Amino acid sequence: MQKDSNSKKNSTHLELVKLGKIFFKEKKFFDLYSKHKKSSFEAIKNINLKIEKNTFVSIIGPSGCGKSTLLNLIAGLQSPTSGKIIIDGLSIKGPGPDRGVIFQNYALMPWLTTIQNIEFALNTVFPEKTKPDIKERAINYLRMVGLEKASNKFPKELSGGMKQRVAIARALSINPNMLLMDEPFGALDALTRSYLQEELLSIWRKNKVTVVLITHSIEEALLLSDKIILMSSGPSATISEEISVDLDRPRDRQNIEQDPKYLKIKMRLEKHLLRETRAVEEVT
Amino acid sequence: MNKVISKRLTFVVTILSLLIFIIIWQIIAQQGLLVKNFPGSFKTINALIWWVSDPFFDNGPNDLGIGFNLLISLRRVLIGYSLAVLVAIPLGVLMGMSKLAQSSLNPYVQLLKPVSPLAWLPVGLFVFRNSEITGIFVIFITSIWPTLINTAFGVASINPDYLRVSKSLGASKSITIRRVILPAIMPNILAGMRISMGTAWLVIVAAEMLLGTGIGYFIWNEWNNLSLENIFVAIIIIGFTGFILDQLFGFLQDKFDYSI
Ligand SMILES: Nc1ncnc2c1ncn2[C@@H]1O[C@H](COP(=O)(O)OP(=O)(O)OP(=O)(O)O)[C@@H](O)[C@H]1O
Ligand SMILES: [Mg+2]
Repeated sequence: MQKDSNSKKNSTHLELVKLGKIFFKEKKFFDLYSKHKKSSFEAIKNINLKIEKNTFVSIIGPSGCGKSTLLNLIAGLQSPTSGKIIIDGLSIKGPGPDRGVIFQNYALMPWLTTIQNIEFALNTVFPEKTKPDIKERAINYLRMVGLEKASNKFPKELSGGMKQRVAIARALSINPNMLLMDEPFGALDALTRSYLQEELLSIWRKNKVTVVLITHSIEEALLLSDKIILMSSGPSATISEEISVDLDRPRDRQNIEQDPKYLKIKMRLEKHLLRETRAVEEVT
Repeated sequence: MNKVISKRLTFVVTILSLLIFIIIWQIIAQQGLLVKNFPGSFKTINALIWWVSDPFFDNGPNDLGIGFNLLISLRRVLIGYSLAVLVAIPLGVLMGMSKLAQSSLNPYVQLLKPVSPLAWLPVGLFVFRNSEITGIFVIFITSIWPTLINTAFGVASINPDYLRVSKSLGASKSITIRRVILPAIMPNILAGMRISMGTAWLVIVAAEMLLGTGIGYFIWNEWNNLSLENIFVAIIIIGFTGFILDQLFGFLQDKFDYSI
């Protein structure tokens, strides 16, 4: 699982250049006669961003500003209307197994067991591998998230936290260089969430991956990230600030709130979110 | 405990209502309250026992055991129905996935779906000049619509998360169809197949009255013999067979129920 560790630190992994996404409304027959000319929606605009290798980056912004859109663009699930996404120096054309995606609703296939869900990913990405190889690898990753005992259970038999762990195992099993997560812990209770946050951190340390995490939680962003990206409210949302979180690691959940540096960043984030959320309320 | 009692209770109630029905039927028939010579339940039950105790005899096409007739009908339904499903599922997937296929095929579907399948009988007879193939053809035309429409709807309303997972892994179109779309829409396909089977079984009886063998022709034949009790026997057997077929799909649907 270890990737070659002498890959240069501080080299750029992901670069976004003037990235923009406009959603065009499908023209229906009757629209030709309607007076409403509002046929498109500019979700994000002119996003410029550089993310270093093996860093942990969080994206925070008001609801509906375009965070998921941005993540989908990086994942290659949607294509941008303008700008470029550059990974390891190359402009991407679509999705690829160098990026593991973790979706908000776990997105496990309900007709497959836990292990089959992971095997599906492995079979798709490594079609040349033999069946026993795939199986062994799937079990290894289930073990990593502590779920080898649940390998033959179906998703509906798992709790939310367990499902999210399977989703994490599936995303990691294809050995990506980058992990893209869209509010992965949003639907979980506080205890499960903090447990999975720790697990994510230890996975991140061991596996040398670049993580891009979308979250609504300022505390989560502060606890996990090297850098926090603040997005402005949409439409035409863009990046309004980048904040480096230079707090020592490992960070202690209990005592971190006493750190004056922590409090300073937290205040700044809260202010920003309040301002941008108010902007949203005023528009609507 | 409660569950056991209520289960036993429903069983008793069912038997009781059946007994009451049989008795009332017998009284009405005996008193001639409906029409003269209307067969009573006793006579019908006797006929049922007679037909069921020796279902497989063959004294020519107009005197065939009820088991043979049932098998003939089932065979026609099964062939026509299987062909319909084989066409409906791929076509439905195509219609669900491609706007072009959807808009070019939908007019025909919407136009042909409400037409009674029996309208196809003369067409089939004219084209095939063979009652066996015509029967199968009519069942085919009957069975195709519910499965086709349900499949297309299933594909169109599939949870986009599954497709996103597949796409993010770089899965090919063929893998996505075989390993994601088809399993995901299994509940829709089975629901469609269940309705298709139901209508096919309804239609075969009517079609066979004009075709010359099968359980539908049996009814027609007994009508010519003016033997109403034998017609009741056929009705009971048709109903029972339809019920079994439907339950089969109920069982399959439970197996493919992904909901929590
Ligand atoms: N396929 C689409 N077609 C049209 N508009 C879209 C589409 N997808 C997203 N949008 C719009 O783009 C904007 C950004 O959506 P997005 O889902 O990226 O927001 P978000 O920041 O992830 O929100 P949340 O915090 O609620 O998850 C929203 O106003 C949304 O309505
Ligand atoms: Mg979102």
